[in-house]
Amino acid sequence: MSRALILMVAATVLLFAVALGQGDQALTPGEIAGALLGDPTTSPVASMIVMEVRLPRALLALLVGVALGVAGAIAQTVMRNPLAEPGLLGINGGAAFAAIILIVGFGLRAPTLLPWCAFAGAFAMALAIYLLSWRNGASSIRIILIGIGLSSLAGAAISFVSAFGDVAAVQRAQVWLAGSVYDARWEKVTILAAWLVIPLGATFVISRELDLIGFGESSARGLGQRVHVVGALAVLMCTILSAAAVAAAGLIGFVGLIAPHIARRLVGHRHLRLLPAAGLVGAALVLAADLIGRTVIAPAQLPAGLVTTLIGAPFFGFLLWRRRHVAG
Amino acid sequence: MTESRARTVGPKPQLMPSAERHVVALGVLALVLVATAMWSMTIGPTDISITGIFTALTGFDGSREHLIVTTVRLPRMLAGLVAGSALAVSGAIMQAVTNNPLASPGLLGVNAGAAFAVVATLTFLPDAPTGFHVWAAFAGAAMAATVVYLVGSMGIAGATPVKLALAGAIVSAFVASLTSSVLIFDKTTLDAIRFWSIGSLAGRSLDNIATVAPYVGAGLTLAIVFRRQITTMSLGLSVARTVGQNVGLWRTMAAIMVILLAGGAVAVAGPIGFVGLVVPHVVRLLVGIDYRWILPFCAVGGALLVIGSDAAARAVFPAREIPVGVTMALIGAPFFVYLARYRVGGAR
Repeated sequence: MSRALILMVAATVLLFAVALGQGDQALTPGEIAGALLGDPTTSPVASMIVMEVRLPRALLALLVGVALGVAGAIAQTVMRNPLAEPGLLGINGGAAFAAIILIVGFGLRAPTLLPWCAFAGAFAMALAIYLLSWRNGASSIRIILIGIGLSSLAGAAISFVSAFGDVAAVQRAQVWLAGSVYDARWEKVTILAAWLVIPLGATFVISRELDLIGFGESSARGLGQRVHVVGALAVLMCTILSAAAVAAAGLIGFVGLIAPHIARRLVGHRHLRLLPAAGLVGAALVLAADLIGRTVIAPAQLPAGLVTTLIGAPFFGFLLWRRRHVAG
Repeated sequence: MTESRARTVGPKPQLMPSAERHVVALGVLALVLVATAMWSMTIGPTDISITGIFTALTGFDGSREHLIVTTVRLPRMLAGLVAGSALAVSGAIMQAVTNNPLASPGLLGVNAGAAFAVVATLTFLPDAPTGFHVWAAFAGAAMAATVVYLVGSMGIAGATPVKLALAGAIVSAFVASLTSSVLIFDKTTLDAIRFWSIGSLAGRSLDNIATVAPYVGAGLTLAIVFRRQITTMSLGLSVARTVGQNVGLWRTMAAIMVILLAGGAVAVAGPIGFVGLVVPHVVRLLVGIDYRWILPFCAVGGALLVIGSDAAARAVFPAREIPVGVTMALIGAPFFVYLARYRVGGAR
């Protein structure tokens, strides 16, 4: 384990601890530890706050961050474009559109069904982007532009559906869409965790294949890789991860863009190390964004998704500036 | 085989000189616009016939129907007229100056910047005099345009379509988040402008439109008066320099026009996207690449598209208020995808 990785684990643990301690009701570290360990001498209020409110919220932020960070790393590798991000590419938009149809159109709010629906939307969107940008091969620039177009189409479709929905359902959906871990419950945490197991596992299994695909299509093929199979599998995993994150916490933008970049600076390009690092950085980012969102203007709360965009968009500008001499 | 090729390459047989054809076409388009505008005023919960509209406009008698026409339907139609023509012309100017098929006030963040400035003014300076928010919209539009252009044109390659589109998407996302953050604090403003913030013609008053109309009118006049200079710019930087154009001066002029037009449109109808993208492209299919004709056609065509699609949405879904920004995005986004697929050629 490199020093950078240890540093990141420490940062994430620290943020997690602060997230448990910070809130309207101040709790001492002793009370938190007591509540977590199930110490019977802890006051029932403290233990209720920690176990039912703050712990699920922190865990949800952590898992969403992991999912977004890893999904972003996969997307950047497969597209061989450092600006690729599931949010910008409209995959998240597709998931959100499908979910809003379920919430507003059918008035359903079953948390078990939502991830499936979000996955269907994200998958359809990824497929549409790929098919529409396929013209003698899918160039990554066309993919990005078509992603921007389809993502604003999804945004308009969401507004369209909202115009017809029951006002209460639309308001609930809006809160969720803004990208918030506000409404965290244990049920959501376990469902998200269950959805992450397979794609995360599969991604780590094919991490060496991802190293190859990152060299470029012809190099990977020359080294004996079945590029299209691996690429399709990787995009599928990316879609599942994004959809699960969107279903749990709505649209949290730019984490999938920033996390892999920071991770690459810390641990290099090997995916065996890059993927866990990207997941950790993503977790730290979402935890920090949620913390900022609920402390700076307390008692009001900014959704985490707004905070990540306010941080992430300037970072994206910085990336564009760094790449300013790259052709295209 | 050779014969058919010769036919496609050679000039098409023309019944009359192209200038006259364009004038006739523009006249026809204007007539269609007038007809659509009249039709759009007949649509609504209360049945009012075309003749009813005419009498309300010519001989106002204070009846309920006439009140509806003058206070609800006429302002709505005029808002569509102002916003549609302003956005389409500003999109055409942006496409000419940047030589970029994807340039438009919506995609390049100009609308989002103006919208944020208006929201911030309404929230933080609620006592500001009438008309102040229009100037705020201009300032927001100018700032967003500057940032997008600076970010998008960094580097040797300059402002390529992809870099500009990315910079626009990012600045839009950033500014939209700022707008949402402001609105979270302020529930009353949120209620008042929820529809406006997606782009809507509903609930405008004649006063609102009268505040903005002079600026938009000035922008349109400048664009028509200086159509030759805009045409020269559309030929590219080096051609413009060769024929002796003061490139810096005319780029600044173009930026002023875009800011007047897009800022004014946003102040009256919110950030309606895609009008500025779609209309110039369709017009170019009709009249070719000459901006001396593209600009007036865009002014009429943009108004026609916005008024027509708003009226159509109201006719199809009478019980619901669908913001025109949503309708435009549903029409425009597929068009953008088409452009990205077929027109941003060469870019690998």
